Amino acid sequence: MKKSLIILLFGVFSSFTMMAQSTIIKGSVKDAASSEPLPDVTITIEETQQTTLTNGFGEFIFSSDVPLGEQVLKISKTGYETKRYPIIVNQGQTVDITDMTLDIDVSDVQDMFTITLSDDELNDDTSGADNISGLLSSSLDIFQRTAAFEFSSSFFKVRGLDSDNGSVLMNGIEMNKLYNGRPQWSNWGGLNDMMRNQVLTSGLTPSEYNFGGVLGTSNIITRASSYRKGGRITLSSSNRSYTNRAMASYASGLLDGGWSYALMIGRRWGDEGFVDATLYDSNSFFASVEKKINEKHSINFTSVYTPNRRGKSSPNTQEIYDLKGIKYNEYWGSLDGEQRNSRIKEVEEPIFMLNHYWDISSKTKLNTNVGYQFGKLGNSRIDYSGGGNPSAAYYQLLPSYHEQRDDLAGAYLAEQRFLDDGQIDWERLIDANVTNNINDITSAYALYEDRADDTQLTVNSIFTSEITDNIIINGAVNYKNLKSENFGEVIDLLGSNVGLLNVDSFDGFEYDNRNGGRIVGEGDKYRYNYNLYADVLSAYAQGQFKYNKFDFYLSGNITSTTYQREGLWEHSRFLGDLSYGKGDEISFTGVGAKAGFTYKISGKHLIDVNGGYLTRAPNLRNTFSNSRENHTVVKNITEEKVSSFDASYIFRSPIVTAKVTGFYTKIADANEVGFYYADGLSGGNDIDDNDTSAFVQEVLQGIDKKHLGVELGIEAQVTPTIKLKGAASIGQYTYDNNPDLYLTSASFNTTDGSIPFGKANLKDYKLAGGPQRAASIGFEYRDPDFWWFGATANFFSNAYIDVNALTRTENFYLGSDGLPVNDYDEDLATELLKQEEISDYMVVNLVGGKSWKVGEYYISVFASVGNLLDVVYKTGGFEQGRNANYAELRDDNADGNPRFGSKYWYGRGANYFVNFNVRF
Amino acid sequence: MNKFLKLILVVIASVTITSCVQDDDYTVPGSLGDEENKALQDLLATSTEVSFDYAKALYDSDPNNDGDNDDAIPYEVENDIYIKGYISSSDRTGNFYKELYIQNSSENPTSAMKITLDQVDNYNQFNKGREVYVKLTGLYIGEERTGSNVYTIGATPEFDQFGGTVTSLNFNQIAQNVLRSSTSEEIIPLNLSFSEITDQHVGMFVQVDNVEFADNLAGLQYFDPIEVYDTARTLQSCNGFGYDTFILETSSFSSFKAFDLPTGNGTIKAVVSKTFDAVSFILALNSVDDVAMEGARCSLLDLGDFATIFEEDFEGMSTGSAISSNGWTSYAEVGTYNWRALTTTDAGNPGPGNTIASMGAYNSNTDVNIAWLISPSIDLDAQSTEFVNFQSSNSFSDESELQVLISTDWDGTTANVATATWTALPATVVGADVYYEDWIDSGLINLSSYSGTAYVAFKYIGGFPSSGDIDGTFEIDNYKILGEN
Repeated sequence: MKKSLIILLFGVFSSFTMMAQSTIIKGSVKDAASSEPLPDVTITIEETQQTTLTNGFGEFIFSSDVPLGEQVLKISKTGYETKRYPIIVNQGQTVDITDMTLDIDVSDVQDMFTITLSDDELNDDTSGADNISGLLSSSLDIFQRTAAFEFSSSFFKVRGLDSDNGSVLMNGIEMNKLYNGRPQWSNWGGLNDMMRNQVLTSGLTPSEYNFGGVLGTSNIITRASSYRKGGRITLSSSNRSYTNRAMASYASGLLDGGWSYALMIGRRWGDEGFVDATLYDSNSFFASVEKKINEKHSINFTSVYTPNRRGKSSPNTQEIYDLKGIKYNEYWGSLDGEQRNSRIKEVEEPIFMLNHYWDISSKTKLNTNVGYQFGKLGNSRIDYSGGGNPSAAYYQLLPSYHEQRDDLAGAYLAEQRFLDDGQIDWERLIDANVTNNINDITSAYALYEDRADDTQLTVNSIFTSEITDNIIINGAVNYKNLKSENFGEVIDLLGSNVGLLNVDSFDGFEYDNRNGGRIVGEGDKYRYNYNLYADVLSAYAQGQFKYNKFDFYLSGNITSTTYQREGLWEHSRFLGDLSYGKGDEISFTGVGAKAGFTYKISGKHLIDVNGGYLTRAPNLRNTFSNSRENHTVVKNITEEKVSSFDASYIFRSPIVTAKVTGFYTKIADANEVGFYYADGLSGGNDIDDNDTSAFVQEVLQGIDKKHLGVELGIEAQVTPTIKLKGAASIGQYTYDNNPDLYLTSASFNTTDGSIPFGKANLKDYKLAGGPQRAASIGFEYRDPDFWWFGATANFFSNAYIDVNALTRTENFYLGSDGLPVNDYDEDLATELLKQEEISDYMVVNLVGGKSWKVGEYYISVFASVGNLLDVVYKTGGFEQGRNANYAELRDDNADGNPRFGSKYWYGRGANYFVNFNVRF
Repeated sequence: MNKFLKLILVVIASVTITSCVQDDDYTVPGSLGDEENKALQDLLATSTEVSFDYAKALYDSDPNNDGDNDDAIPYEVENDIYIKGYISSSDRTGNFYKELYIQNSSENPTSAMKITLDQVDNYNQFNKGREVYVKLTGLYIGEERTGSNVYTIGATPEFDQFGGTVTSLNFNQIAQNVLRSSTSEEIIPLNLSFSEITDQHVGMFVQVDNVEFADNLAGLQYFDPIEVYDTARTLQSCNGFGYDTFILETSSFSSFKAFDLPTGNGTIKAVVSKTFDAVSFILALNSVDDVAMEGARCSLLDLGDFATIFEEDFEGMSTGSAISSNGWTSYAEVGTYNWRALTTTDAGNPGPGNTIASMGAYNSNTDVNIAWLISPSIDLDAQSTEFVNFQSSNSFSDESELQVLISTDWDGTTANVATATWTALPATVVGADVYYEDWIDSGLINLSSYSGTAYVAFKYIGGFPSSGDIDGTFEIDNYKILGEN
C-alpha cells in the first residue's frame, strides 16, 4: 500500500459529515502531480460493483443502495495507477472523500502491451493466427492482462475464440471488418497516446454501446476533452517488428469557449524486424477537436490516418527451418544490393468521425455517431504466370524433393544452393522479362497486389438512461453500408516493356472475357475485378438492474445483413450472369439474447454468471465460395449460431484478488473458405483432362465448434512494493461435428465448378490457433524511488496444427476411379492423419523501468526483454493441402523428410524493446 | 507549446521525412547480365570454338564397329572447347520441357543439337534466336537415346532399359556452361519437304509448305485427352495419287493442346525431332502461330481420270540385241554394251518367260560402261498431266548405278544424247539390297511440270574394271505413260 493511501484513509475518517437519512459516498479525484481535477475516473464500490465516473470537476457521488460497513473503493483511470481505498460506511451518513489523488502510471505498462499489440496485430493475416490482445489491452482483470501481455506472442486466444467474436468500437462505431469480422488494428496503430481511453466489457457482460460478441466489447474513446492536458514525446527502439519509433502527442484540455483538441503524430520504421526482411514503414496522424456547445451538447470530430507498409514473413516447413533457422523468410531477395520483400501489406484507410453527445438529462444520454472510412488494403506478391515459381524455397528446389527421387547428388546441390542463397533472384525475374521484350512477349513475372478498397459509412445512435437508481436502459440502432472494391493491380512489370497478359496461365481462362487477351500495364487491374456490397442494419436493447446483493441484466438484438457481389469482369469459365454484373442479394437475419447476474455473497465473495445465444451472418469471406471468379455463394449457407455460457467466482481481499471462470461456447453452422493447390483428388471426369490436381477453393460448410475450459487469475500484493501474480487457462477447443466439404475450381467440369467430397471427419480434432493451455507466474517490484521491474515465466502447451480437412474425407482412401485404393493400410493411415501437437515450451519475459520528475517533466525509461532464455518454439502451423490422398501422403512421409510437410510459425527468439518518454 | 516540444517535433518531423524504408523502384539494374557477360568473355579468352559436327563426331555410337549401338558411351569432353549456336526451340507454350534445341546458324543451318537441362520456362532466358555459347568442357555428348541420332549435350551418362542417354544439366552447369551473348537473331526456317527431312535436320527450325492435317483429323485438337504424354497427329502433303506424311507431336502440357487443328492447307514451321522411341521423325511446334493452314486443301489425282497413252512391255522384241524397235533408242555413250531385250527367269513380276530390258557391264572388258535406253517421244502438250511408271529389278547388284532422266531438248539423234539437257526424275529405282527376283515399282512420276516433246532415259553407269564391283545388272519392264483423259 502506498503512503498516500494510508494518509488518505485518515483524511477520509476525519471528513465524515452528517446528512439527513440517506447514505452517500462522494468525493473527488485529482492528479497527484498537477492537482488538476481528473474527469472520467472510474469509481467502483467493490462489494456491489456499482460504478460511476467522475465529472469534469473530478467529482463523483453514490447516492443509492450504498452498502454499509467496511468497503473498498477502487479508483482507476487509464494511464494512472489504480488505487483501492478502504472506507467505512455508516447508515444515514455521508462519506466524503475529496481530493483523492491518482499518480500517473510512470511505468506505463500500457506501452508494453500496446507495443506487443501493434507488433503482432499485423501478423494476423500472415500467420493465420489472429491476435486478441487488442481487445484486452485496457482490461483491469489479471487474467486478461496476462493474456494480452504475456500470452499474445504465442497467439494464445482467449477461450480459443477468434477476434471476430469481439467488437472493437471507436467512439461507439464498430471497427470490425465485414470481410472477416476482425478489427484492422493497423488502422489506428502508432497512436498509443490517443487510443488509451478504452472501455472494456469482457465476455457476455453488458456493454452500454452494443450487444457485442461473446468475447466482449472494447470501445476506444477519442473525445478531445477526455485527454489529460499535456504532451508527450516518445522514442523507442526494438528488434521485434520495427526498429525505431518516434511519437509526439499533445492534448489541450478544455479551453475557453468549450473547445478542446488533441493531436498526435508518429512514425514507426525499420528495415527488418526479428524475421529477415520484414520491413516496417508506418506513419500515424491523429487529430480530434471537440466543441462543447452547452451543458447538454457537445460535438467531436476525429480523424485518424495511419498509412502503413509492412513486409510479411513466410511460414516454413521444418526442413527449411532446419537449414536456415527461424529468421528465414522466403519472400525476399536482393536487388541492387538491397533487401526487397515481395510481399508487402499496405493499409491506408483513414477514418473520419463526427460524434454528437447529448446529455438529455443527468440520467439520460444520447450519443449519435457518423463514421466514414475509405482507402486501400493491398497485399503484394509476385505473379509468375510466364515463368517458374520464383521462391527459392519452392519444393522442387529443396533437398527433400531430390531425396525422394533417390538423387542424392541433386539433394546435396540443392542443399548447398539453398544454404548459400535461398532467396528470390530478382535479377533473374527482370532478366526473364527483358528477354521476353526481345520477341515482344508479355512479361513472365510481375509484381502485383491484391486490393480491397473499402468505403464504409456507419451511422448509429446510442441511448443510455438511468430510469431509476437501480435500472439502466441501453439501446442503439446502427446502420452500416460497405462497398468493397476488390481487384488485382499491377505494381511493377519488373523490366517488361510489353505488359502482362490478363489470362489465367494455368488453364487459359480469360479473366476479363469481354476484353479478351488484353495486355495490362502498371497501375492496371489484373486477374479479378469485382465489388462486394454489404448493408447491415441492427438494433439492440438492454436493461441492467443493480441491487445490493444481486445485479442482473437482459439484452437482446436483431441484425439484418445483406450481401451482394457485382462482377465487373466476366470470367470465361463462368460466363454471363454467373460472374458478370450484379449477383443475387443474400440476406441474413441475426438475433441475439443474453442475460446474466452477479450475486454478491459479501464484499469478498462474488458469483458472476452469464449466458447467451445469438445468430449472426457469416462474414463476407465465408459467404462467397470463389468471389474472384464468380457469384457463387456457399451452398446451404445460413446464419452462424453461437451459444455461450460462463460462471465465475471472484474473491477479493485487501491483499488478494482472484477470479476463476468456467466457460463453454459452441459455434454451429459456420463456414470456412480456403484455397490451395491440391494433388491427388479423386474427381475422375469432373476434373479437366481427367486430372487429379487442380487449384481449388475448399469450402467447409456447417462446421460446429466447441470451446470449453477454465480460466484463473490471481494477484497478491504481498508487500506494498511486491505483487505476485498468476494466471492460467485450461481449455479444450474442438470441432464438434463432421462438416460437409466441397471443392470448387475453374478446372472442374461440373456446371457450377464444384465437386462434393462428403463429410470431413473432423469431430474431436483440435482447433488450431495458439495453445489451448497457458499459464503464467510472475512478480512485480515497485520501488518507492520510482523504479520497478517484473518478471514472468509463461508455460504453453496443447497447441495443435491446423489439419487439412480434405484428407479427412473419403477422398483420402478413394482412387481416381472412386473405389478404395488397394494397398490402404488403416494403421498407417491413422498415424498419418494424427493431428500434430506442438511441443510445450516456457518463455521468460522481463520488464523494468525508471522514471524521474524534472521540473514539470516526467521522464521515464522502460525496457523489456521477451523470451529471455531464447527458447525456440513453434506458435502454430498447418498441414499443406497438396497431398490429398493416402498414397501421396504416405509416399511423401516415407523417409521422414516430406516435401509437403506442415508449415510452421516460430515465436521470436530473445528480443528487446526500449522506450523513452517525456511528458509535460 | 513550449520550445522543448517544438524542438522535438521538428526532430521527429525531419526523421519522419528522411528515414525511408525500401522504395517501390524496380527499374532494371544497370548491372543486369554483367556476371554472365564476364563468364562469356572468360570462355572466349580461354577456349576454342568447334563446329557442331566436330562436337557430334566426338561421340562414337559404335566403338567396336559391330553394327549396333549397344556399346555406345557418351563422350566426356575434357578439352576447353565450346560451340556457338542459336536457340531454335521455345518452351513458352509448354510443348518442350526441360530441353533446348540449338542450331549452328540462324539461317541455312547445317547441324543442330539438343541440350537437356533441369530448368523449366527456358524461353524467358534462352529465347528462340538467342546466340548461345555452350562450354562443352566437363559435359557429355551423347544421344537422347542410344541409336536415335538425336545428339544431346548433358551432365552425366545414364543407362536404362532403353539404352544410354545423358542427364540434365543442373542449375550450376546451366549458369556456367550455357552462356548467352546479348545477340538475338531471327531464325529463318529451313525450307524442306517431308521427304527431305533427315537426321541432319534434327533440332532445326524448319518450314514445310503445302501441308495439311490428315483427312480423319477434322474437328480434333492438337492433343488427344486419352493420351498421357504426347499426341501424334499426321500431317500430309499431296503427291500425285498419294500423300507424303509426317508426324506432328504435341505434349499434354502445351498451352495450345485444346486448340482445334486447322482444316486447310498451308505452311508449318516447327522443330524437327524424334519420337520417344526414336523410330520416327516428328515436328514439334514452338507455337501455334507457326501454323498457317488457311488455304484450300490439296487434292490427289484420281487414277480413274487417267488412261495409259503409251505402254511398253518389251514383249516381242528380239532378244539378245540392242533395243531399237517401237521408237526406243539404245546408245552406248562409253563402251560398247547396250541395253538389250532379254527373257527373264525371275519369279516376280512380270514372271518367268517374259521379255524385259536389261543392261549389265559384266564381261564388257572395259573399265567404264555408260549405256542409255531412251523412250519414244511423248507430247506433253497433248494433256495437262502425265505420269511415267515402270518397274525395275537387278541382278548381281553392286555399286553400278541406274539413273532415270528426262529431256525436252533432245533431238532424237544418238549424236546429241550427251549434249542434251537431262534432268533426274524422282523415280524409285530398285535398291542394291533388293532380292534379284523382286521388281520394284517406280511410283507415279509426275511430268506435269514439263512441256513440249520429251524423252525419258534410263542411264546405266557401270563398268568391268579389275575390282569388279560396278558390273551389276539393271532390268526395266512395264514402262507406261499415263495421261489425263
